[in-house]
Amino acid sequence: MLRKLLFLFQRKKFNAELDDEIRFHLEMAAAERGEAQARREFGSAVRMREDTRSAWQIRWLEDLLADLRYAARALRRNPGFAATAIFSLALGIGANTTIFSLTMEFLFSQPSCRNPETLADMRIGGNSGIDMPKYRFLRDAHIFEGLAGSNEESESNWRLGNDTYRLHVMRVTDNFFRVVGVPVAMGRPIEPGKRDVVVLSDRFWKARLAADPNVIGKAMIIDGRPYSVSGVLPHNHRTVLGFGLSPDLYIPVSRETDIVALIARLPEGMSIQAAYARLVSACKELDKVYPPDWGPKSSWANNVEVVPVAGVERLKSLDIAPFSAFFGVLMIVVGLVLLIACANVSSLLLARASARRQELAIRLAIGAGRGRIVRQLLAESLLLALLGTCAGLLVNVWLSGVMNRVQLPLPIPVQLLIQPDWRLLVYSMAVAVMSALVAGLMPALKATRGGVSAALKLTERQVAGRGTLRNALVVGQLAVAVVLLTTGFLFVRNMTKSMTMGPGFDADHVVWAYMRLVPENYTSSEQRRTLINNGLSELRALPGVEAASIACIVPLNDNWHTMSEIRTDLSDQPIRVSFHVNCSAPDYFRTMGIRILQGREFLPADRQGAPEVAILNENMALKLFGDRNPVGHTFRYTAPTMSAPITVVGVANNSKYFTLGEENPLALYECYFQKQEDVVKLHFLVRTLRPRDVVQQIAQTLGRLDASAAIEVKPMRDAMGFAFLPSRVGAALLGSMGLLGLALASIGLYGVMSYSVARRTREIGLRVALGADRGAVLRMVARESFALLVIGVSIGLGIAVFATRPLAMFLVPELSANDPATFLSVAAVLAAVASIATLGPALRALRVDPMTALRYE
Amino acid sequence: MPPSAELLPGTLYLLILKILARGPLHGYAIARRIKDSSEDALEIEEGSLYPALNRMLVKGWLTAEWGVSENNRKARFYSLTPEGRKQLEHESRQFDKLIEAIQLVMRTA
Repeated sequence: MLRKLLFLFQRKKFNAELDDEIRFHLEMAAAERGEAQARREFGSAVRMREDTRSAWQIRWLEDLLADLRYAARALRRNPGFAATAIFSLALGIGANTTIFSLTMEFLFSQPSCRNPETLADMRIGGNSGIDMPKYRFLRDAHIFEGLAGSNEESESNWRLGNDTYRLHVMRVTDNFFRVVGVPVAMGRPIEPGKRDVVVLSDRFWKARLAADPNVIGKAMIIDGRPYSVSGVLPHNHRTVLGFGLSPDLYIPVSRETDIVALIARLPEGMSIQAAYARLVSACKELDKVYPPDWGPKSSWANNVEVVPVAGVERLKSLDIAPFSAFFGVLMIVVGLVLLIACANVSSLLLARASARRQELAIRLAIGAGRGRIVRQLLAESLLLALLGTCAGLLVNVWLSGVMNRVQLPLPIPVQLLIQPDWRLLVYSMAVAVMSALVAGLMPALKATRGGVSAALKLTERQVAGRGTLRNALVVGQLAVAVVLLTTGFLFVRNMTKSMTMGPGFDADHVVWAYMRLVPENYTSSEQRRTLINNGLSELRALPGVEAASIACIVPLNDNWHTMSEIRTDLSDQPIRVSFHVNCSAPDYFRTMGIRILQGREFLPADRQGAPEVAILNENMALKLFGDRNPVGHTFRYTAPTMSAPITVVGVANNSKYFTLGEENPLALYECYFQKQEDVVKLHFLVRTLRPRDVVQQIAQTLGRLDASAAIEVKPMRDAMGFAFLPSRVGAALLGSMGLLGLALASIGLYGVMSYSVARRTREIGLRVALGADRGAVLRMVARESFALLVIGVSIGLGIAVFATRPLAMFLVPELSANDPATFLSVAAVLAAVASIATLGPALRALRVDPMTALRYE
Repeated sequence: MPPSAELLPGTLYLLILKILARGPLHGYAIARRIKDSSEDALEIEEGSLYPALNRMLVKGWLTAEWGVSENNRKARFYSLTPEGRKQLEHESRQFDKLIEAIQLVMRTA
């Protein structure tokens, strides 16, 4: 095969050599038997030459190349046609492959590590992580080749000069780099035994340290302790967790109470099942040393999970159904966009095939097989598809670059790393061939249908008739465009709706001040409480501040969701409820602007030692106490042990807790000062009429309390980016796809309409010459295209009603997937586009002088 | 192009391989040698010789090189590759088997 391929490039040389050889043979023969005899014996030199050459040829490839050459010449003769087709395909394929790249990067990217196939994430006793003593116990059991731990949700305070910054760090055990095999670009990784070194991410090194080439060995003060930089990660580093997570740096675990998630290097050939069995038996040993404390009959060996770090297995184990569904929807949407692009090319090819009918007829007449001509026409669409794919890949590279640079408003740094790779190449080749077939097959078959004589006799205008296939294409395009636009519109409406609807609290008059303390500086909770009380009283004293409070969870930015059995004093039957929890200090509801409907809010008297109190939201009150007023009633948690009774002191208005899309969430507020949580993350909330004016003051006030604390202050409105993210991303992606679909469908519509009107120029001229009213002619032309429009839009709307139903999971509950306003707007937009596409060509046809039109032959 | 009528089908490759086993030759000499060795019984048509040679080049059994012929002319010399040698052994074994089998039938029937 290879030799044959080489032959393709040396054809000229081969022919010359063969001629030489024949000449030599003839001369030799002539010398022996005389020239005439030799020639006679030799027979047909041409025939022999062909036979010899065919030994070397790959028949189909040569034919294909010849077809492609012919197609290229045909396209060069029609640059307008070629440009339109390639442009359509480039947009369709560019969108398609970009979403493909995005999906691959997000769901299937390979982490930066050695042999990911023998790495497994582990989870024991249903916990996502365990503290250091338990980790060391398992590590020292030596049940795997290596066992490391990491915590990707850690924060640290970095002191630089007089400022303190909060960093997102990946806290890892000292053997993490060795077990996982993470490559570094510069310097050395964190090595076993090292406690005071950090490895920087490329992003952090470039953005915060100006890509200092001499950074290795430099000191950084982190959480009040000196560390030295030992290495820098490569720019294409991907964490094991994936999803674009990009911590600022890797740092060794420093405290015994730090929680780490387990990751193990399995010995070569060990199956996941075998690893699972080993881990379970090790967990039973762990039970003896560190008995689990979450209730009777609990064991570390329960709910053990062992999951490979990469591939489909992992995706199944993560709860990413909404993500997968979202990418699924996206892939379908871009598939539809591509379909519209193909339909464009298809109708262009159809129009061309009609124009070339006589050429094709002649070729059929002189003996070309129908299959051969179909193949030749397909080669033309293949060439278009290949060119379109090349242009589409340029679009892809550009769009991926844009997406890589996007900074998402997420609580953790996320950096996408979309790069073209072999998967993209294979995918786009497949897409190119598919689109060539989809776009080219029907026109090619249609063009060669009918006998030779019929084709030869008729001219283009006479046979083109009503162009059913072309009309079907227009209707199909319109229908698909309706579906796309409806989806896009729905998401745009969703975005505006979620931006304008109230989250249930007053986001416009609240400032969120986040203060992260260095854990080592606060060894007693008394110390912390003093700091908080000082902070609150100083904040309240600031001019313009109406109220200040503190809470564990800032709504729409963080989440504490739990499932518990609760028994109220009304009944002996426990109720199983799943609800959001927040613990908040006095004045929280006043600060956040959440109305207390019954009872009161927390008071300074609700302190440690006083009877435990709680506030429910309406939904929770309804669930636990029905129609009764719950104020004054008590409830208890039944697990792990029966808790002391907790008194309900108030009922608060329903609001949003974690996402804007959540529907009727239940929520329970505990009192901040009755909880003994050892937290270093302080979320102060301040109510003021002018949030932007006090941001600076608040930061300074808190900074004076503890210089080692990292402080970030922002108006609540600015902190809503995370909450708006899903609806914004949805609107941006699907909205732009909808517009793209509309644009492509309009190009197609316009092309087909102007073609069919141009075809009727003679007829129109005749009618006008015979005295037809211009308005009547216009109505006649318009009627045809409006019939197509009505059919296409109705079919599209019919499909859209069903197609958008599953999208409800992405929409805020206040917006129905079958939002009538959306459907009406889409129909109106398409009608407008279709009218423009029809009227333009029709008016042009009317302006044609009847005599010119009649002579148009 | 099927080989000339007198030749059993498929034996042209075998003959060429056998002739070339003794050393490189050009096309004309191959035809000549086959004719001489068979005492003029077998005549190879040029119309099948060169296509066959080229098919054998494609299969990698032969290599071809330009050289100078006995009468000082530029000619293309064909020689066996190791693969071609293997093929020769294989084909001649097959051929022997076939002949034996045919003779067996001729004798007993």
